[in-house]
Amino acid sequence: MVVGEVASRVDLLVIGGGPGGYAAALNASRLGRKVSLVESKFIGGTCLNVGCIPSKALIEIADLAYLGNNNEDFGVKISTNVDMLKVNEHIHKLVNELSAGVSFLLEKAEVNVINGTARFTRSDRVAVEKEGGELEHLEFRDAIVATGSSPVSLPNLPTDGERIVDSEVLLFQNYVPEQLTLVGGGYIGVELATVYAKLGSRVVIVESEEQLLPGFNKNLSKKLESGLRSLGIGICLGYKAVSHNKNELIIENSEESSSIPSDLVAVVAGRKPNTDTVNIKESGASLLPSGHVKVDAQRRATSHVFAIGDLTEGPALAHKATSEAKIAADVACGLRNAFEPNCIPMVVFSDPQIVAVGIDPDSDEYSEMNLNSFRFPFSASSRAKTLGDTSGFVNLVADEEGTVVGFQAIGKHVAELAGEAALAIETALSIEDLAGTIHAHPTMGETIAEGALGLSGEPLHLSGS
Amino acid sequence: MAFEFRLPDIGEGLEDAEIVSWYVSPGDVVERDQALLEVLTDKASSELPSPVAGTVLELSGQEGERIKVGDVLIQIEEANSNSDQKTSTEKTSKKIDKAELEETDTSSEDKNNFISVAPKVKASPATRKLARELAVDISIISGTGPSGRITNEDIHSAVKTANEVTDSTSTTAEPITDVEKSSLVQGERSGLGYMKSGEHKIKGVRGVIAKNMSASWSEIPHIHSLDEVDASLLIDFRNRLKKVTHQSASKITPLSIVAAATVRALKKYPMMNGHIVGNPAEKVIIPPFVNLGIAVASDSGLLVPVINEVDNLDIFELAEKISGLADLAREQKIKAQQMQGATFTVTNYGSLGGRWALPIISKGQAGILGVGKIEERPIVVEGKVEARPTMPIVLGADHRLIDGDVAEAFKNSVMNDLREPLNLLVT
Repeated sequence: MVVGEVASRVDLLVIGGGPGGYAAALNASRLGRKVSLVESKFIGGTCLNVGCIPSKALIEIADLAYLGNNNEDFGVKISTNVDMLKVNEHIHKLVNELSAGVSFLLEKAEVNVINGTARFTRSDRVAVEKEGGELEHLEFRDAIVATGSSPVSLPNLPTDGERIVDSEVLLFQNYVPEQLTLVGGGYIGVELATVYAKLGSRVVIVESEEQLLPGFNKNLSKKLESGLRSLGIGICLGYKAVSHNKNELIIENSEESSSIPSDLVAVVAGRKPNTDTVNIKESGASLLPSGHVKVDAQRRATSHVFAIGDLTEGPALAHKATSEAKIAADVACGLRNAFEPNCIPMVVFSDPQIVAVGIDPDSDEYSEMNLNSFRFPFSASSRAKTLGDTSGFVNLVADEEGTVVGFQAIGKHVAELAGEAALAIETALSIEDLAGTIHAHPTMGETIAEGALGLSGEPLHLSGS
Repeated sequence: MAFEFRLPDIGEGLEDAEIVSWYVSPGDVVERDQALLEVLTDKASSELPSPVAGTVLELSGQEGERIKVGDVLIQIEEANSNSDQKTSTEKTSKKIDKAELEETDTSSEDKNNFISVAPKVKASPATRKLARELAVDISIISGTGPSGRITNEDIHSAVKTANEVTDSTSTTAEPITDVEKSSLVQGERSGLGYMKSGEHKIKGVRGVIAKNMSASWSEIPHIHSLDEVDASLLIDFRNRLKKVTHQSASKITPLSIVAAATVRALKKYPMMNGHIVGNPAEKVIIPPFVNLGIAVASDSGLLVPVINEVDNLDIFELAEKISGLADLAREQKIKAQQMQGATFTVTNYGSLGGRWALPIISKGQAGILGVGKIEERPIVVEGKVEARPTMPIVLGADHRLIDGDVAEAFKNSVMNDLREPLNLLVT
């Protein structure tokens, strides 16, 4: 402890202004707490500034740019020309608008926003380092820590911001690289591979595991692999990136080593929780072997410190953080709540898109469960036909009592199916509930009802198999 | 693991402090911010508030001992903690294997991070919320909805079953019952004014209070007379009595002096010690003794222990009995027969900070005397406004039996004795 330090007292302190932090601040303020929020960079966090939002904007632009490439069969000829400077301008504008929107909400909620980097100095205090090095000590009654995560760096491929970059830099390139190699075939890697392949780069993905999207259902990965290959993306599975020489990335597996011509390498090997910058250990919180903060169902890390979002175990997703934010704020304000979701929907905006919600029937983890799955191929969906892509499918999973417990889908526009699937699983709907709900025709949503009919042994648009 | 409260640095560069006195002992339940102890640094003495609510497990220093900044002062088992939380508050951060942490820093994408959670409970988020609010463990409930889905009705019936279990295990003959908790109902919070949301069956002390209050309020036409007493001499009297060499001298409180004045007035005006039988009125009973009830707040509700034949006790004996019975009531160890047969009641809401209240008379009595907090207030003494300690005093009387003149005479007798407590020496 610093001798003579003077701390200002704050009621509820939120550290981090991302989808976890700002939601926690708004919730707690609504419940009558005086909230102070410390953010080191930008309100909106990774998601809004350098993650979900700019990447989705870029994906839309890449789709537009790609329109000309495969619509001739439909009788449409388009030629496109991409101005990356303008693209960046558009994305920055969009990000700024959203960030200003969140700041407005925080202001209206009378949240005191402090720009700086907070570090715990003891169980009930942080030191906030502001621009210029000025230190402010804050003593809090309760703290909700939502400092998020950062891209994992690889020691042998240190990023230099030019030739070797991370995902956050790759989102804001002012040129389309000729040869782009992505190290990491997780969801960030496959999304950015899709983007740059559509913008005209020759893209290669290097993934050390034997499948794309490690942890996802293998059938989805396989299907994705062929979808990405048809976009011209090269995929090297089971390879590790070793080093980067001039314009080549050297990769190897147990048998051989080879080189990939790359004028830009992006390291997208996942994200790690930001526990160090906030010095979370000084709060008395414990870390798990995975590096995440150990929390209970109420998201408590200590009696008065909560941790949410990418800091805690589970998928590093904005919507998980936002959900945990509500739990932590409720509990900090004396209400009963617990983070016990039945599912956290996962969506990958690659081409084809992927959705995974709830139980994966092919996972060893659920081999003991008596599960029933039904796969409805989009070749039998009239809507998929009108969209011009019938290569995907939905797969609906029910337990032996007929409760919907899992959903997987791949194909065009399937991202929008995540909501219905999550609702069904979260509320424990039965397959009869889904099959008995009238779905609008012709929509992709119908494929969920078709899946439920299939599980009931009454498939409509498939002949008995 | 318990919460360890360490001596914080409460002054610039403080190294250690002397424990002046402990305000709590092991077993005490403390609120967050409640003062735990007084410490003396080289500059000044200060009280240290508890950072958590819970039960005191262990004190780590004797009064008079010096303790260093950062050393454990007291261990508190936190309230509202479940076993998960206890392990998470455990200060194990030092034990974390550094090698493990460094390893994760360089490892690539954590595969498990991308496996979504799987359904655990067949209930909608709204039903699960209801279960949390009613403190029902949803994981042990079997659902009656389609494909075993748990409905709101299932949660409500689980609460009902749990209450029935509670009822059948509790002793209904005694007015005081331990509220047993079934495994379905998990207590999380307690404290003044707190009750779980949802339906609760009225039972135990609350049922008795409800029945009695309802009968009192509907059968007894109340009148109340309010006044304020100059309590300067009362305080002086009490302070002097406390210094008298007597084993019960320390038990003398303003309340025991009020009780003594009340007993004296009851002997002068026996009608106030009587009561009406029948509704509206069949007969009046005037007992030949005074059994004084003293209202006491306890965790399970308002209790009124009774001091029998108080008219034969001197002020020290009276103070001793009030103190003993009040402790029993607060600890909820008092027996039913120790709360029966009062002929008049004194209630001291001043101890809760109250000034004025209109207390309700118990059935079987004709009056109740309430006293408020003694505080310095402006009063006129010989034509000048002076700040003097004053005590608000309220007499409630059964107007079927007690007319205004009797009530005023009774109240004036009490007030006279409180203004000049030496009167209490005259029997």
